[in-house]
Amino acid sequence: MKKFRMLSFLLSLLFGVSCALGGQTTVRYWYHLDNPDNDYLKNIIGIFEEKNPDIKIQAELIPWNNFYDNLYTSIIGGNAPDCGEVKLMAMPQLVTMEALEPLDPYIAKWDAKDDILDDLWPKMVHADGKTYLLPLHYIASYLYIRKDLFEKYGVKIPTNRDEFLAAAKALTRDTDGDGRIDLYGFGYRGGKAGQEHWGIFVLPNAKEMTSAQLNDPWTVEANKFVVDMFREHKVMPPSAPNDGFIEIMGAFQNGLTAMTVNHIGTMPKVVETLGEKATAVKVPACGKNGEAWTNFGDEENAIFSASRNKDAAWKWISFLATGEYNKMWTDGSAQLPVTKSGSRAPVPERYKRFIDVTIESLPFAYSLPLTPATQEFINNVWPMEMQRAMLGEIPPGDMLKSFDELFNQK
Amino acid sequence: MTRTESLPPAGTGRRRRKRFDALPFVLVSPAVLATLAVVFYPMFTAVSMSVYDYVVWKPSSSRFIWFDNYLAALKSDLFWTAFRQTLLWIGCTVPLQLLLGLATALLLNRRFAWRWLARMLVIIPWALPSVVIGLMWRWIYDANFGVMNDFLLRLRLIEEGVPWLATTGTALYSIILVLIWQGFPFFAVMLLAGLQSIPRELYEAVEVDGAGIWGKFIHVTLPGLKSVLVTSVLLRLIWVANSVDVIYVMTEGGPGSATHTLPLYAYALSRKAMRFGIASAIAVLFTLMLLALVIVYLRRVDDSGGTRE
Repeated sequence: MKKFRMLSFLLSLLFGVSCALGGQTTVRYWYHLDNPDNDYLKNIIGIFEEKNPDIKIQAELIPWNNFYDNLYTSIIGGNAPDCGEVKLMAMPQLVTMEALEPLDPYIAKWDAKDDILDDLWPKMVHADGKTYLLPLHYIASYLYIRKDLFEKYGVKIPTNRDEFLAAAKALTRDTDGDGRIDLYGFGYRGGKAGQEHWGIFVLPNAKEMTSAQLNDPWTVEANKFVVDMFREHKVMPPSAPNDGFIEIMGAFQNGLTAMTVNHIGTMPKVVETLGEKATAVKVPACGKNGEAWTNFGDEENAIFSASRNKDAAWKWISFLATGEYNKMWTDGSAQLPVTKSGSRAPVPERYKRFIDVTIESLPFAYSLPLTPATQEFINNVWPMEMQRAMLGEIPPGDMLKSFDELFNQK
Repeated sequence: MTRTESLPPAGTGRRRRKRFDALPFVLVSPAVLATLAVVFYPMFTAVSMSVYDYVVWKPSSSRFIWFDNYLAALKSDLFWTAFRQTLLWIGCTVPLQLLLGLATALLLNRRFAWRWLARMLVIIPWALPSVVIGLMWRWIYDANFGVMNDFLLRLRLIEEGVPWLATTGTALYSIILVLIWQGFPFFAVMLLAGLQSIPRELYEAVEVDGAGIWGKFIHVTLPGLKSVLVTSVLLRLIWVANSVDVIYVMTEGGPGSATHTLPLYAYALSRKAMRFGIASAIAVLFTLMLLALVIVYLRRVDDSGGTRE
């Protein structure tokens, strides 16, 4: 009898709890972080759920390296989240899969739409004329330099390709006289996502990666220039073909390299480690006529078409793009806010020089061509071809032939 | 009650109707169902996917293409590079794991102080998750800050840091070394168990016949270990051949294609390029190759005296 009473009590409790939760909609949200130790999202979720007691946010932190692999397979497997972070470059494939929900009806009724930076809206529109993405944050890559080493060795800050090579050569040296090179001019990313480094030298005149652009003698020569920096001039560490994000930032902060390319996402760590010794400058203008190219690193939110909670998902992603909450997000992620109000907010003095360079770089910050082939280019084709060329397995020109085949012939 | 009283009358057993006993089927069915769901269903899906031009991000354009994926795979240079590297991967890793495991087992079978501790410590590489091993060794091999280079530089064996994982000539061998280190405890433990089951009298008998250490090893130890050796080599052959995790964590198949093996190539095509059709074709081809290797191995073992009892 006692057991029966206990069971009845537990069942009633369970029933009561389920009734209380019954009216709540759960929104599954996928995101990734550069620095998972700083999970600033938890605070934002707390505020959102307090303002929207009928919605529960189930945020799932997905490792960046496998974010899109997991996203595609979850969509195919019928287990996609309701909404999540998506980059512009992934939009063409996801639209082809009919996996994204058009946001135009929601945006039309959204009060805060006018606060989004005017330049960002056109980028969100797909070739079919529909808007599938809502801006979240953005960055533009710049050149990190070790100011102290440039001053110590009397090296001029590079503004074009020739100056860059001259600076890299001057900074590559044996600093302690033991006969071994222990400082390299340029920390190059030959591993995954290294196209952001490569593009600075090769893409100023080949932004769209058309067949004509990729076969242009200037582009072919520029591509050879990158390979030569490693093989002939040896201004990159020997590990460069495999180096990824951790390696290039580790080498820069440990004093193994004097220059590398990244963005304000890594600025807090660099400032913490190197203080005033490090600063940022615009990437060198390496184009035929002095044009520059740097990576426009964007992040947006999207609602997935299979979601059964689209309205609740919209409430959440629009909350993240709204004035003070977007600023909370970008303060946590060390990126730039997408709102006009957030952009006007003051920034700490020690970060100002990095943010100023980012904003100055925006006029020549570009995404890779938005085609369905871009994902394969980033994940598979670019790292393999770049590494093979750096190791001398293929001539540099063959790299561009592979890219031409991927983008223009398949 | 006497024994004769308890027996049934002659002939009654034959006349009794045979009853269907469902219990064995009930007991075995969860395992069978799980195997069907987890092994056979994905296997058949992979086979059927391999004859389709199936790209994940354009599922609507998927079409039946007979054996075109197989032909495309066999025509690709990268497939044959990965094939050669798979042979090298298996051919170096399994024998060296076996030799090191055998030496360790023989050592651990002798009596010495703190033997229990040595037996515990030797299992550590096997017990560590592959991802941890991959990350750990990636830093050991790091060209700029790795312990390996530091150690070799201090010993003056090299003149400057070697980018172990970033050079075509060293990357695959560096990972093979890691896998040997990870897998030898399996052989050590299996063979140690085998060694302990060999009767001491056999050693005493060959000693009487004048056999030395080598003679005892050849005439008693090896024949005594044969069945354990065959089983462990077979298992390890299959595991090493299919192993992707350590390579993926350490180099993702790079630099270039220097550490691509066939399973890794299939994985990269499916998960990174989302081309599930051709990736499945490569997976099926590799399964057939592995099956052939296993059959050849078992036949040779049978021909050389057999282990089946």
